[in-house]
Amino acid sequence: MTALITLEGVNKHYGDYHALRDIDLTINEGEFFSLLGPSGCGKTTLLRTIAGFESVSSGLVAIGGKDMAGVPANLRPTNMVFQSYAIFPHLTVAENVAFGLRKRGDLNKAAKQTLVEDALDMVGLDGYGKRAAHALSGGQRQRVALARALILKPKVLLLDEPLSALDKKMREQMQVELMRLQRHVGITFILVTHDQEEALVMSDRIAVMFEGRIGQLADAETLYRRPRNRQVAEFIGKMNFLHADVQAVRDAIDLEVQGLGRLQITAEQSPELRDTGPAVVGIRPETLGILFDGETTDRKLVDGVVDEVVYYGDMTYYDVRIQGVEAPLNIAMKNMIGRPVLDVGAATKVIWDERALVLLK
Amino acid sequence: MWQKITSSEKGRGILLISPPFIYALVLMAFPLAAIFLFSFWTQDFMDVDTTFTLNNYREIVEKPIYGALLQRSLYVSACVTLVTVLLAFPVAYFVSFHVRPERKSLWLFLITIPFWTSYLIRVFLWKVILGFNGVINTGLINIGLIDEPLTFILYNVNAVIITLAHAFAPFAILPIFVALEKIDRSLLEASQDLGESKFMTFFRVTLPLAMPGVVAAVLIVFIPTIGDYVTPELMGGAGGKLIANMIQTQFLALNNAPLGAALAIVAMVCVTAISLVFVLLNRRWLKGRS
Amino acid sequence: MSLRVYAIAYLIFLYAPIALLPIFAFNDATIIAFPLSGFTTDWFGELWTNTSLHTAVRNSVFIAVMTAIISTLLGICAARAGAMAHFPLKAGIMGFIMLPLVLPEIIVAVSLLVVVVQIFDLGLSNWTIIAAHTLICTPFCIAILNGAFQNLDPSMEEAAMDLGESRFGAFRSVTLPLVMPGIISSMLIAFTISLDEFIIAFFLSGVSPTMPVYIWGLLRFPASLPVVMALGTILVALSIILLTIAEILRRRGMARAGVADKGGFL
Repeated sequence: MTALITLEGVNKHYGDYHALRDIDLTINEGEFFSLLGPSGCGKTTLLRTIAGFESVSSGLVAIGGKDMAGVPANLRPTNMVFQSYAIFPHLTVAENVAFGLRKRGDLNKAAKQTLVEDALDMVGLDGYGKRAAHALSGGQRQRVALARALILKPKVLLLDEPLSALDKKMREQMQVELMRLQRHVGITFILVTHDQEEALVMSDRIAVMFEGRIGQLADAETLYRRPRNRQVAEFIGKMNFLHADVQAVRDAIDLEVQGLGRLQITAEQSPELRDTGPAVVGIRPETLGILFDGETTDRKLVDGVVDEVVYYGDMTYYDVRIQGVEAPLNIAMKNMIGRPVLDVGAATKVIWDERALVLLK
Repeated sequence: MWQKITSSEKGRGILLISPPFIYALVLMAFPLAAIFLFSFWTQDFMDVDTTFTLNNYREIVEKPIYGALLQRSLYVSACVTLVTVLLAFPVAYFVSFHVRPERKSLWLFLITIPFWTSYLIRVFLWKVILGFNGVINTGLINIGLIDEPLTFILYNVNAVIITLAHAFAPFAILPIFVALEKIDRSLLEASQDLGESKFMTFFRVTLPLAMPGVVAAVLIVFIPTIGDYVTPELMGGAGGKLIANMIQTQFLALNNAPLGAALAIVAMVCVTAISLVFVLLNRRWLKGRS
Repeated sequence: MSLRVYAIAYLIFLYAPIALLPIFAFNDATIIAFPLSGFTTDWFGELWTNTSLHTAVRNSVFIAVMTAIISTLLGICAARAGAMAHFPLKAGIMGFIMLPLVLPEIIVAVSLLVVVVQIFDLGLSNWTIIAAHTLICTPFCIAILNGAFQNLDPSMEEAAMDLGESRFGAFRSVTLPLVMPGIISSMLIAFTISLDEFIIAFFLSGVSPTMPVYIWGLLRFPASLPVVMALGTILVALSIILLTIAEILRRRGMARAGVADKGGFL
């Protein structure tokens, strides 16, 4: 893997507001990279810094080994799909796609036309070239924006919340199409999104950002299973948190966990923490279970009482109180034949496994 | 240096706003300051005596003619504003609430057209309508309602008010229309859902929400009418002259520019003060809305 | 329903004076009053031979064209700065530039007269009127152009730059075509206002009068009134044509930018 984009010590201030704080980041060639975070976390600012629409207050931005300081957006090897798509309403679809080819003196009219047709073909809009841009649907606009950017063969395609304007069904369809397209063209995609599912589904690696900083940089599975800290764990998916006391750190880690008692986890399950003392363990709802009548398990059990039942069709979410823990545990159960939906107040047994725990800073 | 200015959004903004800002500064703020200064000087035959004096203002206070003219001007402006806004509100309401969306801009277009067409001739035509042998008098005589032409409808303050109210109509309709358009229609449904009649909904929801537009309409009619001298000149007769006529006379006929300047300042201060009081009285409608 | 009747009555009230214009312009009598006596086109014929009127019209057209160009250029600067940039004291500066909209015209007229004649001791000319007309037309231009610029997605220009255009190139290839209808509409409105403006022109005109100042002179002579009626008919027709073009362009601009039409000029 070769590094394509390097950011070193990047800071951005707007007056008193510190939008980016000491960002160090390397993005590789051919990678599908996501910047994920709540609104105002700086992810869009970071993307616009790479595109050349924002200058950095301090630090280095390099693309393909070249320092980008002072290089305006129009001279950078990046192209962008804007959140609003920014399709020029006074031009046709084909004219929009051909917009960036104006300065390509090496291409004659026919060659440009072929490129446009190929680009439209690639995004599934063949035959739409003559349409007026303002008459397109949201999904079609996005495809035009993609074709318009990709026709210039940038080293990096920047996507600023590209799916947020689409309805749920269209969004899911476009997720798959974007992944297919990225594999097809083989260039680096950098996606900005606040939708964790979108980032998890599509990306090779994800940088989760909070308040101008990168909270964690990892692939989807690591991010989900081994979040570094509570902030990341809370932002991605649902997680139960239990107070714990770290008693010994060797190859393995000895813990006393509230409600679950003494147990041991591997060093891998603690991405950050290496000290003894008070800490928090996280456990995902789907790694816990409920032992129904007639079922058996070889895993550990703890007694509990059902506090709340939320039925989702394929799944049922239970809140179960266990001895010694203030907040009830959230448990996700798949609904299956022969498995009843429990009532509030039912006494039950909670199945757990220390391999599912993650120790958080 | 140039690059530094154009590279930031702030720099580009300042660069762009500079030409219109400097223009307004040089051709509005500076001249206004100049007449303010001028009003403290005096005319000495063909020259201007630049010793600071309050004589012009003293003359305005002491001679009853100026106070009377100013009072009449403010009365006419207030009447014109009242008549214009009251007549305009139902039209704005009709266009906003009862005209189909695609027809709205046609209505607004029709309303604005007369406003843009030859002001002088329009004022003169009111003379034709209200005059001795005018449309109204001949019409009324022909249908036998009157025997002699009515004389009280021309060459007095009423004629001035009618003509000005006609001239400023679109100025009143547009801001009210814009305010009405901004009202979320579900608020009206919510009011009725909570038990109010349509009539009371208008008073408890629509009207308060439209007040910013009404206030804007009042200001945009009241302030400029004080500066009109064409209508009183043509329609007012001897008893219908206003402060603007006096300013014009001082400047152009009597060649007493400093006194004219002082009159202009006094008129403007009065109008501004009244406008500010009006805005303050209505501030509860204007708060928290843009 | 009664509201509709009222609105139509109101429109009749608005149009009543204008409707009288052609009636008297073609009336074969020197007195502007009813009853009408007969049909004639003489009054229009007189317009052709009146050379001082022609001079006044030429003056007015020159002033109106210059005013339209300058105030639209200033309007473009202000509207674009207002729509796209943030800078210190923005609201205050914009309000200041819009102030001539509510400034009584006589104040504008006398203050400029004092500055030009008494302070700088310059002569009055068409240019003094152009300067004043530009001041009062700029707020109208800004109001019209604001519509055009604010409907523009700010990422539109960024997209053009991202696709290889320079900042100026992006403005020229994307923004300018999209706001062009607004620009033309702004110029037409400024032209119409300037052509029709009397109060300021009366104070600031030099040796040769503008058309409204000339008409003002004619209004004092009963014998020349039918000619004024004929001239007025032509002017009203011309205004309506120009305004209709401005409105069509404004709507086309809205449609081109893909936004719903929300209202008229202001």
